[in-house]
Amino acid sequence: MTSQAMLRQRYLQKAAIAVGAVVLLLWTVFPFVWILLTSLKHPGDIISVPPKFVFTPTFDNYAALVIGEQHGQYSSTRPDFPLFFLNSMIISIGAVALSAAAGIPAAYALARFTFPLKNALAFVFMSFRFVPFIAFVIPLYLLYQQVGLYNTHTGLILAYQLITLPFTVWMLRSFFQEIPLEIQEAAKIDGCSWLGVLTRVILPLSMPGISVTVILGFMFSWNAFNYPLMLAGRQTFPVTVGAIQFISYEQVLWGQMAAATIVAAVPQLLLSLMVQKYIVRGLTMGAVR
Amino acid sequence: MNTKRRRRRWRWETFLPYLLLAPALVLLAGMVYPFGLGLYYSLTNYWLQYPNRFRFIWFDNYVNLTSEPLFARALEFTLGFTLVAVVVQVGLGLAVALFLHARVPGRKVMRALMLLPLMMPPVITALMWKIMMASTNAGILNYLLSFLGVDPVNWFGSKQGAVVSILIIDTWGNLPFVSLILLGALQALPTEPYEAARVDGASPAAMLRYITLPLLSPFILLAVTFRTMDSLRIFDVIYATTMGGPDDATTNLQIMAYQYAFQWYQMGKGMAQTIVLLVLVVILSSVLMRLWNRAAASTAQ
Repeated sequence: MTSQAMLRQRYLQKAAIAVGAVVLLLWTVFPFVWILLTSLKHPGDIISVPPKFVFTPTFDNYAALVIGEQHGQYSSTRPDFPLFFLNSMIISIGAVALSAAAGIPAAYALARFTFPLKNALAFVFMSFRFVPFIAFVIPLYLLYQQVGLYNTHTGLILAYQLITLPFTVWMLRSFFQEIPLEIQEAAKIDGCSWLGVLTRVILPLSMPGISVTVILGFMFSWNAFNYPLMLAGRQTFPVTVGAIQFISYEQVLWGQMAAATIVAAVPQLLLSLMVQKYIVRGLTMGAVR
Repeated sequence: MNTKRRRRRWRWETFLPYLLLAPALVLLAGMVYPFGLGLYYSLTNYWLQYPNRFRFIWFDNYVNLTSEPLFARALEFTLGFTLVAVVVQVGLGLAVALFLHARVPGRKVMRALMLLPLMMPPVITALMWKIMMASTNAGILNYLLSFLGVDPVNWFGSKQGAVVSILIIDTWGNLPFVSLILLGALQALPTEPYEAARVDGASPAAMLRYITLPLLSPFILLAVTFRTMDSLRIFDVIYATTMGGPDDATTNLQIMAYQYAFQWYQMGKGMAQTIVLLVLVVILSSVLMRLWNRAAASTAQ
């Protein structure tokens, strides 16, 4: 190969890498950029042909989300987005708190004790990750209506345990198993009981792991759509179900829907940057570290 | 005295793990109970609007599914979509991982950015793409495609368009899952086999085929397992975009069960369809997990 041909090949390779990087970047980021732009447009700019990249921005769509009014016009069936946001917070925080309370001792037992049925129980927790949600939601819908849990935060927090509890138990177990056994044995020799080992050794040493688990559990709860779709009502809808309310039979409120998706996404964007090293581990229930 | 106390202590300790597990098991039991109830309903003709006709009908719901044309189509779409989605997402995910592994500038930034689609609520992702996939010329996607000479696509309005749209949206959200697993695995690979191969004068393609892919196989299978399970049960994206249409072209088993149970209130039938999907998930996941364990064991040697 001549040196000129080699030079050309290297040049082509660099160009290919640059093109690939740009395509990947656009594919990943452009949808966010476009939705952000859409959320800042007047209704007329949203449906303009060709689509506008340059326009006079407006915060009308965000204002409409908060006060439910656009250009002096109230809609009687407007989605109450601030309420949905609050609901998402209440349900997600409630769900992770309950899962952490029940999951920490359970994960401790599965990580540090040997007992019959241990692996079977661990597998049972894992298997909930793979069950189609509709298998739970049909009977839960019927049951909740009878016992008065339908359209309540409590009912949703309990249903969300299907999402957060198996995850919390497996994640925490994988973090607890990383703590060297020697430390635990040393604590036992110093007279610590099982409770002392948990509160003085396991919990302090796995605090980062617990925070990551709680944050990821919160994010998975925030993403939940199908349980609240069937088990919540207008007073308890979270943002995921709330955002879809901008599609009605008469029209789609594109601008407000774009603003709603941005607002619903913001906590996820901030939190995912915080726990970025652990997201793959979380999504595989601790299988990939 | 001493032995007595020791025995008591021994007894207490045997039950300790179960006590620690108790709160979580109680919560689980609270979920297993409705599931059992649902299993029972699948053997009844439970129709919410006609509670008086409630009757135990054994396996009639399951038998009747075989003569239900929508069920055959939903089953076909569920399996077909899963196959295509897994092949596309794992294939592209592997390509992206290899690309980023090959010293692309800004790899760290790219990794962080790829987390964003991954952690978005799937229904929000679907709404974002729904805005971009407007079928008129005001839709940004059709506008951008027009520069490549593509005529305006009727994204959600045509049968093929709807299937392709859902595949694109699902891929946008989940491609990073595959890429990040495989990129992490690539970065943790041992360097010795590559050095040996380089000494032997192996081509990059041969190294990929004979070193990288075999070493990656447990991770590829893990990604395939998770993606298969999630694709079989895809719901949010379909619900927010096509609702199973047009003409049932994007109705999978979960959407069908949803329609039977929550639009027509035929709880028994809906539950039976759900159980069929569950059996499908259990069979496929056990096969895939066995393959994954075998691959993990063979690379560990």
